[in-house]
Amino acid sequence: MTMSEGSTFRQDLLAAIPSLRAFAMSLAQNADKADDLVQETLVKAWDKQASFQPGTNLKAWVFTILRNEFYSQMRKRGREVQDSDGLITARLAVHPSQQGKMDLDDFRAALETLPGDQREAIILIGASGFSYEEAAEICGCAVGTIKSRVSRARSRLQEMLAVSGEADYGPDAIATQVLGSNAA
Amino acid sequence: MRVITGYMVRRNRGEEISMKPHLTAAAGGQKKSENQGDALGVNSEIGRKLKQYYDELVSEDVPDRFADLLRQLERSENQPSTAESGE
Repeated sequence: MTMSEGSTFRQDLLAAIPSLRAFAMSLAQNADKADDLVQETLVKAWDKQASFQPGTNLKAWVFTILRNEFYSQMRKRGREVQDSDGLITARLAVHPSQQGKMDLDDFRAALETLPGDQREAIILIGASGFSYEEAAEICGCAVGTIKSRVSRARSRLQEMLAVSGEADYGPDAIATQVLGSNAA
Repeated sequence: MRVITGYMVRRNRGEEISMKPHLTAAAGGQKKSENQGDALGVNSEIGRKLKQYYDELVSEDVPDRFADLLRQLERSENQPSTAESGE
């Protein structure tokens, strides 16, 4: 093996760390746990190096490893991975700020109440920039499953934060609604 | 009147983050998020917040221990003292 191959792989892993940490935080919701998860992921990724197909999406590959690691840790700890739907939503009282514009803290709080599978789906699609196909691969499920999770997550966030997410262009959108939405 | 979100993104490592202010919001899904039915596109409040939330996480400083760890892993691989030695 050549030094440069290893180095490239290392550089690529290094470059993936900020997004890995962000994904880990979204899953674990705790900075220390998230960083432990990232560390474990890097070690695993290094060990599995040979199974990575150069030219394919390294970020998706390490996300898959991190996600698997997260759920296997959860199982070991015997935690409930999934929150039961309505319970936490009911407990949450998010008051959107003026003008229907929500605060980032409101948003974070709302996001945290989502069931894990919905949260990871909406993060992968809406924030990490993966396609539905990639997200499905990362989560080991069907594309349709990801789509429905994203859509449920989105409706619940909208519900909790009381925003109309569809075409919020600011004041104009509101004006349009008031006038009876006939502007296509 | 335009909505300008202009969030501050601290950059430290190479990764690119799109942080365009949404001056062109009226143009509609100009990014690759088009294939997402725009449900979470830049034009939706949820989509914007989601990106803002995530970009903030991505732009956090990365502790040195990760780079150190990778260097260590590489170093230990280059001295195949144990198990199989990759070709």
